[in-house]
Amino acid sequence: MRARSLWLAALPAAALAVLLLAPLLRLGWAGFSGEFGAAADVSLWQPWQDAYLRWRVLWSLAQAAITCVLALALGLPLAWVLARFEFAGRALVLRLLMLPFVVPTLVAALGVLALWGPHGLISEALGINLQETPWLLLYGNLFFNLCLVVRAGVDALGQVNARQVAAARSLGATPWRAFWRIEWPTIAPWLMSSLCLVFLYCFAGFGLALVLGGQRYATVEVEIYSLVAYELQLGQASVLALWMLLLTGAVALGYAALEQSLAAPLRNSPLARVRPGNARQWLALLAAMGVLFAVCALPIVAIVMKAVGAMMTGAGGIFDAEALAALWNTLRFSAVALTVATMLGVLHALATQASVVWRALAFLPFVVSPVTVAFGLLLLYPSWSASLALLLAAYAVLAYPFVAKALAAGLDALPVHVLRAARTLGASPWRCFWRVTLPLLAPALRRGMAFAAATALGEFAVTLFLSRPEWATLTTLIYQRLGRPGVGNLDAAMVLACVLMVLALLAFLLIEWPGREAGEHADARVSRPQSSMNSGMTRRGHHA
Amino acid sequence: MLELRHIHQRYGSRPLLQDVNLLVSAGEIVALLGPSGSGKSTLLSIAAGLQRPDAGSVWLDGADITTLPPERRGFALMFQDFALFPHLNVQDNVAFGLVEQRVAKKQARLQALQMLAVFGLSALATRRVWNLSGGEQQRVALARALITRPRVLLLDEPFSALDADLRVALRAEFSNRIRAAGMATLLVTHDQTEATSMADRCVRLMPGC
Repeated sequence: MRARSLWLAALPAAALAVLLLAPLLRLGWAGFSGEFGAAADVSLWQPWQDAYLRWRVLWSLAQAAITCVLALALGLPLAWVLARFEFAGRALVLRLLMLPFVVPTLVAALGVLALWGPHGLISEALGINLQETPWLLLYGNLFFNLCLVVRAGVDALGQVNARQVAAARSLGATPWRAFWRIEWPTIAPWLMSSLCLVFLYCFAGFGLALVLGGQRYATVEVEIYSLVAYELQLGQASVLALWMLLLTGAVALGYAALEQSLAAPLRNSPLARVRPGNARQWLALLAAMGVLFAVCALPIVAIVMKAVGAMMTGAGGIFDAEALAALWNTLRFSAVALTVATMLGVLHALATQASVVWRALAFLPFVVSPVTVAFGLLLLYPSWSASLALLLAAYAVLAYPFVAKALAAGLDALPVHVLRAARTLGASPWRCFWRVTLPLLAPALRRGMAFAAATALGEFAVTLFLSRPEWATLTTLIYQRLGRPGVGNLDAAMVLACVLMVLALLAFLLIEWPGREAGEHADARVSRPQSSMNSGMTRRGHHA
Repeated sequence: MLELRHIHQRYGSRPLLQDVNLLVSAGEIVALLGPSGSGKSTLLSIAAGLQRPDAGSVWLDGADITTLPPERRGFALMFQDFALFPHLNVQDNVAFGLVEQRVAKKQARLQALQMLAVFGLSALATRRVWNLSGGEQQRVALARALITRPRVLLLDEPFSALDADLRVALRAEFSNRIRAAGMATLLVTHDQTEATSMADRCVRLMPGC
């Protein structure tokens, strides 16, 4: 049994080692040994000695921390409203909370620009200019991460035991006191775990900071990119990347420790949801929905409005040969990446049952930043830097953990008696897999594949590093258009972002509106207990 | 005739089963009693071939089947949570074992319908299994087990998830059907009344022996 698991693990292990671990080690060595820095006199401590670099590092930490505080302050009341009130459309809102998880980073960045940027819908109406302020980046961060905290909060509040609250109330606690003394201690670890992820994503985020940060408010990841791509300062870049690895590693370890301490009780009597009864409760509900709409839906609405506006004004030349080629590249790269990622993910998940370490390895591509991976790949395989195979392999490695995680969760939740019943009814292990395991896992597999597809569609950082001009995808083309002057190019970027968003939405529909066939029921059982972790892990790729 | 000879099994570092010997003749129902943690379910898994014992052997009609995989033993195992396949409807659940015996799907479904008719469940044939009541689910599970004409029937606390009235009613129904089918049957339970009312013979398993 064990030997077979090891065989299954061989391929994903090799992929992780060659495409992820080796490049990171190579990068770490470059930063530590100072091989590129010797001439330019770059020391390991330079990021802390040089005022410019120190500002980059400190701002990266600060914007992540500020986002965490804002996400908690807004997210906890939102979660409470969603967890405690029963109202028409509640289930729909919970489903829509998944939406930012599949929206590519660049689309989100353009959504923020469409609202607040130059010629933005709101900024133009109010006559303000937020360029070169930190607000654009923080708003973009919130767009992605508020939903994450709200989902974690809703899940956590579902863990609060109604009997404990009732006991506290009968012992004289007001609702407010009961919240602080009973509910808060229960949900705090879950919220902290989600905030760890938020911090990690914001700190290691690239696309948002590149487009929205401007000169002053860009993050370390952006600095690494411009050092490598424009200034060819590999020494400084590798030292910065080494510090990024250390800092993200520390946060990721903290997150892993928190996750491990979270164990959901098997049976629980959650608090019953109530219909809002008085004007104040209705007001709270309306306010919550308003905030949610403003942060998580408005940027998407703005892109659509901008894109429609651009099409109306007859910017017919938007779908030129360049755009069509990029669309074709996006589709075929994603298709190849999805195929390879599915294969790797299935193998990884089937081998997962053997060991905890192996299971944790599936998280690795989530916690390392795509910029460091791409930079490491460039350093380690310089002769392959313009190879399509390397680009696609990197796509697949970044996307496959979605499949692996979803399937592993599905495998954990498989009712063991059902498999045993099949075996005693005469099904061989292979027949059992084919007739029982696979149909029961289909919803989890579909979900994982849809997230992997969304990741591949929205991939940006690695493409920017490793791509050749003729391999431009929709994301890189949008970025190019943004860099060109003129309203026409901005319009084109909006339309392309709209196209990319439609593709991502198709993936979203696959995830959240599965058929009502056999899968529906099995899915509810299979994916339930993992939901908070899933929503956590599924965030990753789009921050690339 | 099912025979367990000198079965030893450890659970972690703790001895769970020590030199257990058991004989169940064809047409006989033997109840296996014991407190939880005494290794009843483990013994059942060993008999079914889902688990290999640390030491000892399993025999059927004079042949050593210790190393035979579960699907080739021709046994049927029933669980307290019924273990129906959630992705198949009632009829396809019952037909599952026949399909594994290479019976054509159409034929298997036909036989399943006949079996359901015997159990008075014809009306449920195309229903999804999670829409059934507990009693109906356990009847479907028995139909699914009996349709393959198993040589041995193994029941793991089959009624413990059901309420008291239903339990009593099903006890009589199940022991009649099992006797009519006439195979060696091992019933694991912690309920003394259930054991005495259904079984020809009771065996008590003590923890760690």
